[in-house]
Amino acid sequence: MNQLLSIGQTAKLLGISIDTLRRWDLAGRLRSIRSGPRGHRFYNRSDIDQYSQEIDSLALNWAKSNNPIEPNSDVYCQTRDVFQARLEKLQSELSKIASIEVVSLITAVAGEIGNNSFDHNLGSWADIPGIFFSYAIRNRKVVLADRGQGILTTLKRVRPELLNSGEAMKMAFTEIISGRYPETRGNGLKFVRSIIVKNPFSLFFQTGDAKLFLKKNDIKLDIQPTGTIINGCFAIISFEELL
Amino acid sequence: MNIELKKFGTTLVSRPAGKEAWLAFQPVLNSMSSGEKITVDFNGVVVLTPSWADEFLTPLRQKFKEKVALINTSNPSVQATLSILEV
Repeated sequence: MNQLLSIGQTAKLLGISIDTLRRWDLAGRLRSIRSGPRGHRFYNRSDIDQYSQEIDSLALNWAKSNNPIEPNSDVYCQTRDVFQARLEKLQSELSKIASIEVVSLITAVAGEIGNNSFDHNLGSWADIPGIFFSYAIRNRKVVLADRGQGILTTLKRVRPELLNSGEAMKMAFTEIISGRYPETRGNGLKFVRSIIVKNPFSLFFQTGDAKLFLKKNDIKLDIQPTGTIINGCFAIISFEELL
Repeated sequence: MNIELKKFGTTLVSRPAGKEAWLAFQPVLNSMSSGEKITVDFNGVVVLTPSWADEFLTPLRQKFKEKVALINTSNPSVQATLSILEV
């Protein structure tokens, strides 16, 4: 028989508030089962497991869609201020289960990737401004996506010789270079790499038709072509070895 | 002078926030006596990224050079940021 979870247990597992779950229930996004004389909300464990698995496909589908709509407000950060507030929420949720080291580093990696999207696309979004930002604490996963210009377009401004997304991604993860010349900056993804390879984390990153999977102790960047093209950036940060 | 970074926040991640901190702090820096040393205290900072730090620590270091000392830098994201920025 399917295990039933209370709304409190479910909120804890997903790392969101009970109020959010009630809203999702009303909106039909994640349905509860009403039970008991007072009609309390319960959730099927299998539904919650499935939902947790889905955030990365939701984000990827949004990033690659030809006819995109604004993501659900719970995962959509149209502006940097919204992202900052939700990033601090992630930090707070993580601190319930993880050491200060993990909280600090995972939040820093997510913060750098999310803010990169705003830094490089402000005023130049292809259609929908802002980023998709969601996490599943139970699955030890943070997902970010944008419908911006992607790394190749950004870096081509300062390195016109770049031929494809794979080369651009490699440059972004290995060299200090800014697509916002003449500003002397652009070490965000290098910073992300330095953290991932020294900790029990992993990163999946895609831009254009290039993808990268990076994990602890990786020395070389294993950048591969992808079948699906996204114009912006898509990232999954995992810290599944945490517990 | 002692700069307690936690007074700017404990999650210091974005460039605009770093730039804003730098600009807001200018009157204090301008009121310093010449030759005065600056201690940047990271105590209480939970998350720091190169984006924020590049807008605050980099210009601070450029302006005051060896007069700047960094203390309480044990937080892992602070460590990772400082090693990337080489400030």
